[in-house]
Amino acid sequence: MAMATSTFSPRPATLNKPLRAGIQLHLIPFPHLRAGRLVCATAAGEAPPVEVEQRDEAEPAPAAASNGAAVKAEAPAAKTEPPPAPAPVPAFRDDRWVNGTWDLTKFDKGGVVDWDAVIDAEARRRKWLEDYPEATNTDEAVVFDTSIIPWWAWMKRFHLPEAEKLNGRAAMVGFFMAYFVDSLTGVGLVDQMGNFFCKTLLFVAVAGVLLIRKNEDIESLKKLIDETTFYDKQWQATWQDDSTAGPKN
Amino acid sequence: MTSLSSAVALPSSCRARPAGGSRRARMVVTRAAASSPKLPNGRRLRVAVVGGGPAGGAAAEALAKGGVETVLIERKMDNCKPCGGAIPLCMVSEFDLPLDLVDRKVRKMKMISPSNVAVDIGRTLAPHEYIGMVRREVLDAYLRSRAQSAGAEVVNGLFLRYEAPKEPNGSYVVHYNHYDSSSSNGKIGGEKRSFEVDAIVGADGANSRVAKDMGAGDYEYAIAFQERVKIPDDRMVYYEERAEMYVGDDVSPDFYGWVFPKCDHVAVGTGTVTHKADIKKFQAATRLRAKDKIEGGKIIRVEAHPIPEHPRPKRVFGRVTLVGDAAGYVTKCSGEGIYFAAKSGRMCAEAIVAGSANGTRMVEESDLRKYLAEFDRLYWPTYKVLDILQKVFYRSNAAREAFVEMCADDYVQKMTFDSYLYKRVVPGNPLDDIKLAVNTIGSLVRATALRREMEKVTL
Repeated sequence: MAMATSTFSPRPATLNKPLRAGIQLHLIPFPHLRAGRLVCATAAGEAPPVEVEQRDEAEPAPAAASNGAAVKAEAPAAKTEPPPAPAPVPAFRDDRWVNGTWDLTKFDKGGVVDWDAVIDAEARRRKWLEDYPEATNTDEAVVFDTSIIPWWAWMKRFHLPEAEKLNGRAAMVGFFMAYFVDSLTGVGLVDQMGNFFCKTLLFVAVAGVLLIRKNEDIESLKKLIDETTFYDKQWQATWQDDSTAGPKN
Repeated sequence: MTSLSSAVALPSSCRARPAGGSRRARMVVTRAAASSPKLPNGRRLRVAVVGGGPAGGAAAEALAKGGVETVLIERKMDNCKPCGGAIPLCMVSEFDLPLDLVDRKVRKMKMISPSNVAVDIGRTLAPHEYIGMVRREVLDAYLRSRAQSAGAEVVNGLFLRYEAPKEPNGSYVVHYNHYDSSSSNGKIGGEKRSFEVDAIVGADGANSRVAKDMGAGDYEYAIAFQERVKIPDDRMVYYEERAEMYVGDDVSPDFYGWVFPKCDHVAVGTGTVTHKADIKKFQAATRLRAKDKIEGGKIIRVEAHPIPEHPRPKRVFGRVTLVGDAAGYVTKCSGEGIYFAAKSGRMCAEAIVAGSANGTRMVEESDLRKYLAEFDRLYWPTYKVLDILQKVFYRSNAAREAFVEMCADDYVQKMTFDSYLYKRVVPGNPLDDIKLAVNTIGSLVRATALRREMEKVTL
């Protein structure tokens, strides 16, 4: 998979003023970040990362000034945290991410859009923002909607491999069960399908394969059933213990 | 009696009203309470309403209007409650609130996903529809003053405890700390007083003492933490009619962060049920997400409060009942409570008035249960739908992304606002509902698929 030409643009240490305690609390420790930078620097063959960082250095300066204003206002309110060492806050950058959405022309692959690459890019963006949450920007609002990616791209990528796996398992188990029952009872495959008991078993098997794919699924299904009725039980609680006859039937 | 004169004046084609017209009408209403004993010496029913918030104020007003002798006990008359302060349109009309009570009319909401996908909702609102933002101290004081004008006695004091009656139709004894009327700021060290009542309405909020005394049981609760931030005027323009909701694991694992406009400042806050110890971290994350927009702001107040997640196991015991937050009537997903508090207070009062035949007969537990039954019947669909939404869409970041994506749809917006503004769960057009279901499943599947991809990505 071709590495995206996205670069990291950590705000450099011009931010000497004590950062708001808030930013520090969710920063990922540095070794992770540096390792990522190394990977990116070696993989990004096209746009030299240096150039991009220089351009980004100009950006944080005005941000720092306004950051400082917010810091001054909140310094009296901040109670416990001593100002930790200032650290760069990375922002998400990608050449193909334009105006808050993915520019599909940049994902061209022989005349058609490479939807797999779009999915990869979006996954990367979400992961980035999950690890390094960013301030929202009203000028550059994010408007990307995943429904722009056609349904068959999702099918091909996610559903079909799993479907193949499950069908394969079902076929293997089915073949051996049919053989096993035939060898024990002498009832052939066609006669097996005619029997009501066998039809029920088949139905249970199909439902089981769909719902329970991992061992953990059994527990999560039980929890799900409890969950759906839990809230109802909490509301009904006041009617449960009435020794005096209530009007509610 | 006006009915007598009207019976004479009306033409004979109208229904003839007998001489005891109004008395008969009253008998129809009070058939249920005909068995309860008439109060001795023709005295009126006495009810204590503990707590003077929206629930208490609405209850006291309805009780007083119904001819019941009402005492409303409130410990802090100028209490500035930490609260989002959003009221739906139906509250303004149902409670005849004057429009100057509403500081701001929010007509646009911005939902922001964990990856900062921003969706504007409110396109489908009609020009007269809005979410009203109020200051709680203003609203609460107004409702209390209305109760007072209706005839309720408003007392500044701190409820201590109550004693159950010794015999079946005896009185409850309410003990409270009476505060001097000249110092209205809840000074500790008032004088202990007590009085007798026939019924008690507990409207004293999430940490209700009435609930404790009656053994109502506990509920799970969320902690809502909020900072009121005064931002410069040019930035306030953005929040003129707009409220924001931020979802994401960074902001809250099971709730949302918000920026709500108040009269001249914004309230930035978040909440959580399961990770209460990390609330400051969530608040910092909320501030970070809104950083550019609240820059240069000064924090003028920090407040926090518990929000119930579900009703208490017992909401009525003897002739003591709970309303509002004390009962736990806060919806899931949105955490809305003001309207349900006021409505439950009013419904409880109306049940007491009906059950006591306008204050002439003793009430019983069954009358109070009638209020519970009616409230549950009216609003159960709303609560259940919001519970389902919370369970489905607040589970994980993937679900939240799907949620924000769904909110971009016009049909969803219309349904959401209709059910919020008018408190009706309206079943829409079945074809549109099917389309909505398909779109929801699609969004959730896509978001989950992306989530699995995200796990493979190493930054």
